[in-house]
Amino acid sequence: MKFQADLGVNFCGIRFGNPFCLSSSPVGNHAEMCARAYDAGWGGIVYKTLGLEKSFKVIMPSPRLSVYNYGDKRFIGLQNAEQITDRPIRENIRDIAWLKKHYPHKVLISSIMGYVDEDWIELAKMSEDAGADMLELNFSCPQMAHKSAGHRVGQDFLAVAAFTEVVKKASKLPVMAKMTPNITNMVPVALAAKQGGADAISAINTIKAITDIDIENFTPLPNIHGHSSATGFSGPSVKPVAMRFVSDLYNSKPLGLPISAVGGIETWIDALHFLLLGATNLQVTTGILRYGYRIVEDMIEGLSDYMLERNIKSLNEIIGKSSRKIVDPSEFVTRFQVVSVIDDAKCIGCGQCYISCQDGANQAVKFDTLTRKASVDEERCIGCLLCKHVCPVWDCISINLNFHFYIHFHSISRKLRSKN
Amino acid sequence: MKLPVNPEKIVQFKGMREPLSLQAVIKESNRCLLCFDAPCSEGCPAGTDPAKFIRQIKFYNYKGAARTIRNNNILGSVCAFVCPVEKLCEKKCSIKALEDPINISGLQRFASEYGQRFEIEPPAQSLKSEGRIAIIGGGPAGMGCASALAKMDYEVTVFERENLTGGVPRWNIPGFRLPEEALVYDVKNLISQGVEIRHKSPVETPEAVTNLLAEGYDSVFISSGLSVAFKLDMLNGYSNVTDYITFLRKVKFGNESLNLKNKNVAIIGGGSVAIDSAVSAKACGANKVYLISLEHLSELPADKEEINLARIMDIIFKSGSQITGVVENENGLSGLTGIETDWIEPGKFIPLNARQISGTEFRINIDLVVQAIGTKPGNEIMILAKGLKTIGKGIIEVNEDFETNIPGVFAGGDVVNGGATVVQAVGEGKKAAQSIDNFLKNRRTSK
Ligand SMILES: Cc1cc2nc3c(=O)[nH]c(=O)nc-3n(C[C@H](O)[C@H](O)[C@H](O)COP(=O)(O)OP(=O)(O)OC[C@H]3O[C@@H](n4cnc5c(N)ncnc54)[C@H](O)[C@@H]3O)c2cc1C
Ligand SMILES: Cc1cc2nc3c(=O)[nH]c(=O)nc-3n(C[C@H](O)[C@H](O)[C@H](O)COP(=O)(O)O)c2cc1C
Ligand code: SF4
Ligand code: SF4
Ligand code: SF4
Repeated sequence: MKFQADLGVNFCGIRFGNPFCLSSSPVGNHAEMCARAYDAGWGGIVYKTLGLEKSFKVIMPSPRLSVYNYGDKRFIGLQNAEQITDRPIRENIRDIAWLKKHYPHKVLISSIMGYVDEDWIELAKMSEDAGADMLELNFSCPQMAHKSAGHRVGQDFLAVAAFTEVVKKASKLPVMAKMTPNITNMVPVALAAKQGGADAISAINTIKAITDIDIENFTPLPNIHGHSSATGFSGPSVKPVAMRFVSDLYNSKPLGLPISAVGGIETWIDALHFLLLGATNLQVTTGILRYGYRIVEDMIEGLSDYMLERNIKSLNEIIGKSSRKIVDPSEFVTRFQVVSVIDDAKCIGCGQCYISCQDGANQAVKFDTLTRKASVDEERCIGCLLCKHVCPVWDCISINLNFHFYIHFHSISRKLRSKN
Repeated sequence: MKLPVNPEKIVQFKGMREPLSLQAVIKESNRCLLCFDAPCSEGCPAGTDPAKFIRQIKFYNYKGAARTIRNNNILGSVCAFVCPVEKLCEKKCSIKALEDPINISGLQRFASEYGQRFEIEPPAQSLKSEGRIAIIGGGPAGMGCASALAKMDYEVTVFERENLTGGVPRWNIPGFRLPEEALVYDVKNLISQGVEIRHKSPVETPEAVTNLLAEGYDSVFISSGLSVAFKLDMLNGYSNVTDYITFLRKVKFGNESLNLKNKNVAIIGGGSVAIDSAVSAKACGANKVYLISLEHLSELPADKEEINLARIMDIIFKSGSQITGVVENENGLSGLTGIETDWIEPGKFIPLNARQISGTEFRINIDLVVQAIGTKPGNEIMILAKGLKTIGKGIIEVNEDFETNIPGVFAGGDVVNGGATVVQAVGEGKKAAQSIDNFLKNRRTSK
């Protein structure tokens, strides 16, 4: 007996054994790497973005990476200044053909980036001939040295629609357009891609960011021979932003395209979050840079157990389940007000909640310096939960769910207060 | 990070350590470096693969971690409580170069208990039969071998002398160290693999192994452990002198009959089992408990944690000393005389190398003496098969494949290594299972 749920998904008419894919980046740089990724269990690969060296010769900046640290937590975000592939197109196409021959049942998506219509057409055709199952159009690399490529295209609705259309005409393969988050609203760009014929949307590419500065020589990092740039930020730190964009895309009625989510995925819980917000397919880079291909084993087993425990037969049952709970703040129900409550037995007496509530909330936490215990003055508590979030004992402070009591209590005490 | 032991629980013979909280588990698993070619996994004799289950815990794949532990080590829950990790998996933990080693057994316990609580599916039962194997002794080695063989589709019968499975962990390891539920769970897993265990079935007649082979068993694995305790001649013939095997079994199953309230107890020996005996005696209400050993405190073979346990329980260390005689009264032994000792040649911890220091003579009043100076296999083991080769104190000689000098007869665990650990016994049982499989496959192809 095998205790494994069915993680298969159908994405743009293509069957994925599981929704976990490498996103386009050095983790899928050549055939040998991709083969090991397939062997490790990944359901699909978005190959490192192809370009034509005859149109633009890529030279990678050096060094390429910088990280964002917080206290003893390193690598909570990653900044890269990498361009698209710097390998000759011939070799990459040969690798894709080899992979499709040896892994016919695994999905291979070719990521491409052109500079003019002809490039896009040529890359699409070459990928299709090599056996790729699908195309991803890179409209989103934030640090291309070429002036009319990457996220600059991704910010230009007309260009997105036009290039997508060119590719759709040149190839029969399903096409997915990869979005840049370096924009206020992603939906219009996605709609432009749809107008050009895109079958799916992937989001997000990296966020333009500066992670660090050497305070001795004033040079931001990565220090590329004396200069740096705001370049692509990825990893756990970007997941909240990626979730927001995925949710926006899924909740857009006119869009209605399947979504491949990218940004900060490392565990099955991250993956589940994106599925719940409406993604059908999932892509990972930074998690692999940090821990290797092996992390997919725990994504598969963890997600499978989650489904078995809840008798979920197919991922389709949960995709988008949380999306309708994301509403405009104007629609919030504000009748219910909560207060926090401190579990006396768990409190270790550090006073962090007190300091935060004093200086950042409503001075509702009281701290007894004799007993070294904190408590909440329910009448003053505004229910922001700042105290809960700073408490070092994770399950010490909770919401007092005595709603009815507190609705009355609060409205009465507020009324009393406003009368004074 | 390890949690402290709770003396109140020791006195009740209940698990002396609380499980790690979920918060602690998350923190600890995030401290792990997820090493390449991880030294911790290398250091586990049973191949439990801590590097893998810690990674699974870090990535919230808790059931996966429970499966890894159970599938690799049939005594995975027991091991989480009893492994001397500082000498095994944690010994070469890479992070020790920077900070404290990862609390591997704590994480192992968490994952294993998570699997029990949230009911991971039982291990698969094989329905084919690649051959029939008889195992003599249902302790850790026998269980390790049986589980591995069942996984390879062999039909396994375990012959066990006692009415319960588990060997030393069942009868002798004190309850404050090892809660019973852990062993019960592990045994349940073994049974769901389809292994047949015949209790109250001692194999002790001469040439019994030869007969099993004649009866149609394709191979036999001997894992009968060590059952006879060594005794000092000086202490022979007293009713209030016992050995640690007998003593600890009594403590575990019917400690009322011991009646140690306010009695003085002397334990002779300085190993882990001596400390288990001392702490148990104290937990049974003994007044003064002495631990008499030739080794000095820093030289005791017991590990730091165990010594700390004895310290918490106010055990009186008479380290670096020797007993010289017995004090008698009308009831028999009423005390011991002893003297402090030194080593003639440093670093050689054997009785012959001890030198008495004059002027340090002592005398203590004693109501019970427990000897914890080693054990050897039962005499019946030597004659189980005609010509079975044994060495030293009667342990069975095997080659690196755990095969004895008789083709088709394998052995492992304490009866081979002379007394080691649960996890070592499981590992040897697993390796022997692999050898048995190779042996039978070769025999089939050469036929
Ligand atoms: C008091 C004590 C504390 C210990 N504490 C620890 C610890 O904390 N951690 C640790 O890792 N190790 C500990 N050990 C060591 C560990 O228990 C042993 O190394 C381990 O149990 C060896 O397993 P085994 O299967 O070889 O032998 P055993 O556990 O001795 O099992 C042998 C089995 O064979 C059966 N048997 C014997 N003769 C026959 C026969 N003729 N026919 C049928 N059945 C027979 C026995 O009943 C028994 O079930 C301790 C040992 C003792 C004595
Ligand atoms: C070093 C590096 C190189 C990347 N190269 C590409 C690329 O060539 N094409 C592309 O579409 N995205 C590229 N990306 C972006 C990733 O595919 C992904 O969209 C982004 O990193 C967010 O996901 P993550 O948090 O899982 O890394 C790159 C990211 C990194 C870190
Ligand atoms: S932050 Fe938590 S532990 Fe610290 S005083 Fe407040 S309630 Fe107690
Ligand atoms: S079984 Fe024991 S030695 Fe092996 S990893 Fe677990 S605790 Fe460590
Ligand atoms: S050796 Fe230590 S740090 Fe490395 S994987 Fe094992 S437990 Fe983790």
